[in-house]
Amino acid sequence: MARAQAVHDELRKCGIEYLVWLPDSETRSMYDVLMADKDLNLVQVCREDEAIGVHLGLYLGGREAAVLIQNTGMMNAVDALRGSALSLQIPLLLLVGYRGYHGMVEGAATVDSAAVYTEPLLKGLGIPYYIMDSDDDVPRISEAYRQSRADSGPVAVLVGKEYD
Amino acid sequence: MMTRRECLQALAESRTDEVVLGAMTASREWASLSHHGLDMPVMGAMGQAPDIGLGIALAQPERRVVVLNGDGSMLMNLGSLVTIVNAAPKNLTLMIVQNGVYEITGGQPLPGIGRFSFAALARAAGFLQVHEYEELSAFQADIPALLKEEGPVFANLVVQGGPMPQTPRADMVEVTTRIRSILAGQSARPVAQ
Repeated sequence: MARAQAVHDELRKCGIEYLVWLPDSETRSMYDVLMADKDLNLVQVCREDEAIGVHLGLYLGGREAAVLIQNTGMMNAVDALRGSALSLQIPLLLLVGYRGYHGMVEGAATVDSAAVYTEPLLKGLGIPYYIMDSDDDVPRISEAYRQSRADSGPVAVLVGKEYD
Repeated sequence: MMTRRECLQALAESRTDEVVLGAMTASREWASLSHHGLDMPVMGAMGQAPDIGLGIALAQPERRVVVLNGDGSMLMNLGSLVTIVNAAPKNLTLMIVQNGVYEITGGQPLPGIGRFSFAALARAAGFLQVHEYEELSAFQADIPALLKEEGPVFANLVVQGGPMPQTPRADMVEVTTRIRSILAGQSARPVAQ
């Protein structure tokens, strides 16, 4: 599991000034860390597709922003990802809580369908992604950030387990 | 009753350096009336215009941002009213061009039209500046205030649709690049707190 503080620090290292987000179960303990940073602007949305639109506006206005949502919310946001990011070639760092990731084991009685469809969806949309499952993976955030800027498109970091 | 074209024509005459985002049919009408570097048609994902406008308004607090949203588009994203009130941008004016139908798809009526009120929804979401217009003269008289008063401002324009102008489809990558570049010049100015 990746520590919330380490994730926060990595985002700040990338120069992120605005985080557009909707709380989710994989990012629960991020809240206190994010709130403690008075220089980081949090924009909370009611539904995840909104986050992609707000991000686009911030980008047009010259701000450095990232989006923090859950995989279920990313599924809600597919048309926004298409229309307000992919087709406009907008650099977009997406942090996505990977609900159900650790339950996807061979022989499990039930598997969370949110997890089952997460990677196929990203592949279908042509959005590159990394999996962040421990502090060792935190630098993936900077890699994804750089890649999103270099390729002018969305790049996702899937958060494998709840932050601590 | 006023027409959509009359309303947008009046707005275009008063507009100076505001960013104007137009959704769906309103965007096509606007494109036939205005050719300004800070015009942004939002034809990609329906319902996104208020959120995109919010993002620009937060990024550029000194510049007024006007969103011309369709009524069908607004219904698709009512939560954005709450999102906007929560973020509280002083420089955002959200206008709904209410013609009661999905004009772009051939004029099918909106669900519940005549039984709900956008102005009431905006007030209930927490907007403090809420206006509604059915007469052109009243809207025209208020335009300067709508572009200046402390936001977020909400205005519902009850209009007759009329023929939809055929405007060429914009190259949206070009549009977003242009808007970002113009706003980058502006952002060099000190940001008001």
